[in-house]
Amino acid sequence: MTTLTSLFPLLAMALPILGALLIASRPAERAHRTAMGVSIGVLIIVFAMMSRFDWDHGATYQFANSFAVLPEMGIHLSYGVDAVAMWLVILTAILQPLCVLGSKTAITENQRAFYAWLTVLQAPMLGVFFARDLVFFYTCFEFTLVPMYVLIALFGSTNRKKAATKFFLYTFTGSIIALAGLIYVAFIATKNGAVAWNFDIDTLAAAARGMTLSEQSWVLFALMCGFAVKVPLFPVHTWLPLAHTEAPTAGSVVLAGVLLKLGTYAIYRFVLPFVPMAVVEYAGVIATICIVGILYGGLICWVQRDVKKLVAYSSVAHLGFCMLGMFALNMMGGVGSVLYMINHGLSTGALFLCIGMIYERYHTRSMQEMEGLAKVMPVWAFFMVFFTMASVGLPGLNGFVSEFMCLLGAFQSGAIGIGKGGTLGTLGPWYAAVAGAGMIVAAVYLLYMVGKVVFGPLREPGGHKDHGRDAHATDPSALPRDLTRREIGILIPLALGCIILGVIPTPFIKTLEPSVAAAISHAQTAAKDMLTAETPAPLQPAGLVVPTSPERSERNGAGPPLTSFGARMNGLKIAEAHP
Amino acid sequence: MIESLGTVGSVFTLASEVAGHAASSAGGGPAWFAAIPLLPLIASILCGLTIAFRSKTKLPAVITVGALALSFVVTVAGFLAWNNAGHQTQITHIYEWIGVSWGSDAGQSLSAKFGFYMDGLSWLWMLFVTGLATLIALYASEYMASDVGKGYGRFFAGFSLFVFSMACLVMGDNLFLLYLGWEGVGLCSYLLIGYFFQKPSAVAAAKKAFIVNRIGDLGLAVGIFLIFVTFGTVEFGPLFEMVRQGVDASGRPLAGQWQEWVIPCLLMIGAFGKSAQFPLYVWLPDAMEGPTPVSALIHAATMVTAGVYLIARTMPLFLLDDTHFALTIVAWTGTITALLAATIGMAQFDIKRIMAYSTVSQLGYMFAGLGVMTSVGACFHVFTHAFFKALLFLACGAVMHGFAGQLDLRKLSGVQKMPGWRIVGLTMLVGCLNLAGFPLITSGYFSKDMILAQAFTTPGDIIAGSQWIGWILLLTAGLTAYYTFRVYFRVFVGPRDFEPGDEVHSEDDSHHGGHGGHGEHGEEGHGLKAHATHEFHPHPPGWAINSVLLILALASFLAIPTYFMMPDQHGWVGSMVHSSTAFVESPGAHEAHGSQTHGLGTFLGFDPHKAMYYASGIVGFIGIGIAFFLHLAGRTSAATSRADALLPMLGPIPRWAQNKWYVDEFYDAVVRTPLWVLASLFHWFDKLVIDGLVDLFGKLPQWFARAIRPSQSGVLQGYAVGMAGGLAVVLIIVLIVMGANG
Repeated sequence: MTTLTSLFPLLAMALPILGALLIASRPAERAHRTAMGVSIGVLIIVFAMMSRFDWDHGATYQFANSFAVLPEMGIHLSYGVDAVAMWLVILTAILQPLCVLGSKTAITENQRAFYAWLTVLQAPMLGVFFARDLVFFYTCFEFTLVPMYVLIALFGSTNRKKAATKFFLYTFTGSIIALAGLIYVAFIATKNGAVAWNFDIDTLAAAARGMTLSEQSWVLFALMCGFAVKVPLFPVHTWLPLAHTEAPTAGSVVLAGVLLKLGTYAIYRFVLPFVPMAVVEYAGVIATICIVGILYGGLICWVQRDVKKLVAYSSVAHLGFCMLGMFALNMMGGVGSVLYMINHGLSTGALFLCIGMIYERYHTRSMQEMEGLAKVMPVWAFFMVFFTMASVGLPGLNGFVSEFMCLLGAFQSGAIGIGKGGTLGTLGPWYAAVAGAGMIVAAVYLLYMVGKVVFGPLREPGGHKDHGRDAHATDPSALPRDLTRREIGILIPLALGCIILGVIPTPFIKTLEPSVAAAISHAQTAAKDMLTAETPAPLQPAGLVVPTSPERSERNGAGPPLTSFGARMNGLKIAEAHP
Repeated sequence: MIESLGTVGSVFTLASEVAGHAASSAGGGPAWFAAIPLLPLIASILCGLTIAFRSKTKLPAVITVGALALSFVVTVAGFLAWNNAGHQTQITHIYEWIGVSWGSDAGQSLSAKFGFYMDGLSWLWMLFVTGLATLIALYASEYMASDVGKGYGRFFAGFSLFVFSMACLVMGDNLFLLYLGWEGVGLCSYLLIGYFFQKPSAVAAAKKAFIVNRIGDLGLAVGIFLIFVTFGTVEFGPLFEMVRQGVDASGRPLAGQWQEWVIPCLLMIGAFGKSAQFPLYVWLPDAMEGPTPVSALIHAATMVTAGVYLIARTMPLFLLDDTHFALTIVAWTGTITALLAATIGMAQFDIKRIMAYSTVSQLGYMFAGLGVMTSVGACFHVFTHAFFKALLFLACGAVMHGFAGQLDLRKLSGVQKMPGWRIVGLTMLVGCLNLAGFPLITSGYFSKDMILAQAFTTPGDIIAGSQWIGWILLLTAGLTAYYTFRVYFRVFVGPRDFEPGDEVHSEDDSHHGGHGGHGEHGEEGHGLKAHATHEFHPHPPGWAINSVLLILALASFLAIPTYFMMPDQHGWVGSMVHSSTAFVESPGAHEAHGSQTHGLGTFLGFDPHKAMYYASGIVGFIGIGIAFFLHLAGRTSAATSRADALLPMLGPIPRWAQNKWYVDEFYDAVVRTPLWVLASLFHWFDKLVIDGLVDLFGKLPQWFARAIRPSQSGVLQGYAVGMAGGLAVVLIIVLIVMGANG
């Protein structure tokens, strides 16, 4: 039924597109104001959706509708949002006006182009979260690249051309491979169903689940090729630091806040329900990659001299936690992972904004050149330390909840032999313990940054003299040293978000639970089929370890041995007891 | 007074019942307990607002002292209510903080509430935490006065936030809330150590504290995970009920399972980090970079005892294991830390650092006490130590404050005889006597004895080498007495002589006059000193500092009678511990009263509990005597003493001890530098190899395109060809796979 509410998503997507046209057609002086108006309009629509969303049935796709675009080719414009998508849509809608507001003084030339592209970027980002049809999804997924490319290439800093090209081609190449995988799934769906091509995501998922393990593994590989670049996971992350460093502040915020989440969201939406058997099979491998990324990315942060690059690399480490939770294949990890997407958008987005504010004043990002800015910018220092603590995972703020849940999820996964709190899965305590070292590394590099830039004896970069105080009297756009009211106004909503999600996360968790349960249910079923044969019966003092079943070892030639931690530890104990 | 507080408590209860917010669970406590942590939190927010409104007054101190005092009153009221209600554990739930469920079975949900688990242990800790915090905040209101309008609000915001975090840690009814407090106190410690944020050493110390603590936190976090997975809950009530029955969440007996020793070992790592035990103790001495009230409250009296609290709280988990594997490690780590820190403390010259090492050393005693299974002794020592160590720090702080930051005991002498310094000197003496364990008249003597005696009593087959632990701790008691009185005899008595420090309190503090000649400080020139003494007048502390010192000195005496209350439960603290999860039947606790002493250790054939009164007293006297001989008798100036003649005979040992046995250097060489090198290697690997491969891959189609069509070398087109080629390859692979699968 085409109720009025089901038009909300279309409206939310149409508004930025129309708004961008409007900005492009009006004088440059009005560009900022128009962009602000459009982004607030979208925010209002999204808040309206939020208030009408039935949070008790988060797994149901709401505001759903479908228009046939090319029915003979099976292409529909079908959309709908479940709880996970809804929260990500809200995140996108909240970040947008803050980005626009944050660019007010940063962008002084060619404002029309900047605001038009920034505004139009919102449409495909929302589209990705709305999409219920593969073609619609993929179009939006790829279309985000174009405005972002322009934003980096036209408004970035010195090395912007290279960064933009690399960003575009790297993620585009990956996506092509993912597309191949998805088309293969669609092809299978037509073969099985004996119907015409159909790109409905649920239909495809059902078809994909019918594939054999080896087929699923190939599809998994293809999808991960595309989506892991976007996340980004180690070792396909190298476009990210470059793109972040060169992008204008608003670009970095959108990039970290939303664009990276397209990757994690796509994995959540396509990989988990599509190829559950392969996911169970390779969860350990992917989790290992995540852990490498957490530690490797974190350590690299520590030796950066460019403060923006440091935060950029921290995304590699942070999203490692996010993906680790997702591949725990349980509720704890899944909900933690989704929360992580939102929290990372808030705290890392805010950190980029803070750094952007410094860059606007001093025109440098080098940590060699600035030190002890808390002396002259106490308000800024407060926010910087605050968001650093959110990022470091301090309990009471948002980062902790999701990080702890991801780690606990990984710990539980496969720990079914240990106790009742364990769930089916292939990770286990060791994964959580090693990834947990990332918490220490995060403290090392983030406090290194704060200790260098915020604290210590004051050293201001020379840039300030030229562009700041001396010019203050003549140049009306020159900023005072500490934050202006506008800048404080940008950071306060994000800070509030961090506090709310840290202090009362349970309502959010409850809304996500049904949706996550649906997403992981197939993986859980697959895990049950594949793993129960070797899960040790309740551990007895004698330490009975059920050996690997023959069909499993035959099937699983190359995969990692999937003995549970409990079994291993029990074996250890026996070895100790009877030397 | 006490009755009126009890009345206050019942009024609170009545009010909350009327409002319908009464107890939300069985055996529940009233909701007004929440005021204990929330008042400091509100104070912290208000202090933040005073900064935002650029207050130039002492308002933040007024807010903080008021809120903390109120919080203390509520704590006392709550304690009395609990006491009257027969020591029943009270659980209050305010709201669900983190709740996840994935099924309807037990163990298929996680629920961490913002709630309180109030038993004897929690009340004991909260009483001295809020009480001391109030006093120290009062002290700080004067101590930090030169920062009014600058960092004053920031200081008190952090201070109040610390009390909130500590309250969450101690009162939390689940491990998640404990972890919140655990990291929260770490944050406050970070912010307050780095209070003088323009000082590189303060920034470095703050960072070090946070990071070293995080290492311990990881242990605690993994421990929490394992507890949750094993028991299906993180709430203390159900958890300890299961532990009492010796079963896990599925009713399976725990005996003989590996969790039995792995869980306590993980928790122990967390405790070692927070309580600065070997090998994670290195952050605490550096933490003295913070303002002295912070050192007194956070780094001496309260936060660093969180590790003791954690082990005491989870004692049932430690006792599950019949081999007492984790407890043995706790006992030995504590012992080694006590000895090591004492030896370092003997060789330091900075009086605040000496106190810091003595804190590490005394924490070692507490851990040893927990390890040899006298949680009562450990908690009693925490209790007495909180008062006398806060006192010592605050007295040292007063000296530092009055002598422009001078802390070197070679540059201060006879302070007690100077006008206006009498109270500081005398209260310092009280603190020193307590720390040295001066017999009979000090509370420190009784609490230390309890641990020592138990170490000798506990048989070696329960805690391996417990006799050795006893001997080492006894030796350390002598060392403690020596280094404590080294400070007192050098700084507070002896000839009047001093050299001010080079710290100007504030730029506009003009009445102190010019501080001439600080550039060439350090050498022993009498002219310089005379010059400095003429120019500089130490300013003695005012009423706030003096009254706080007096109250603390009094409190350290008042702790003595608590030892003699309720003798069947080893004192008042013992009675508190008895009605908490920390209770452990110390080996020999009951036999000592009867006749059966079979299998228990002895002290040279005597009953340790009796013999230790003499033994530790004698050891203490010897330590004080040596300090008197070396550092007071015959000393004519601040800089020299008889010990100087002794030093060359010891070879390089004093220098090694002064350099903290090079443990920091060891960590730097073995952990930090290799990690940094690794990080740099990763950085270059990322840049050259991983990104290089990507660039190479990007260039390939370009070269390919050039080769086939030299006229066109457009970059984008080249890439496009590459991508098309890649797509083709993928499609071919897909087709092959499809073919393979029929």
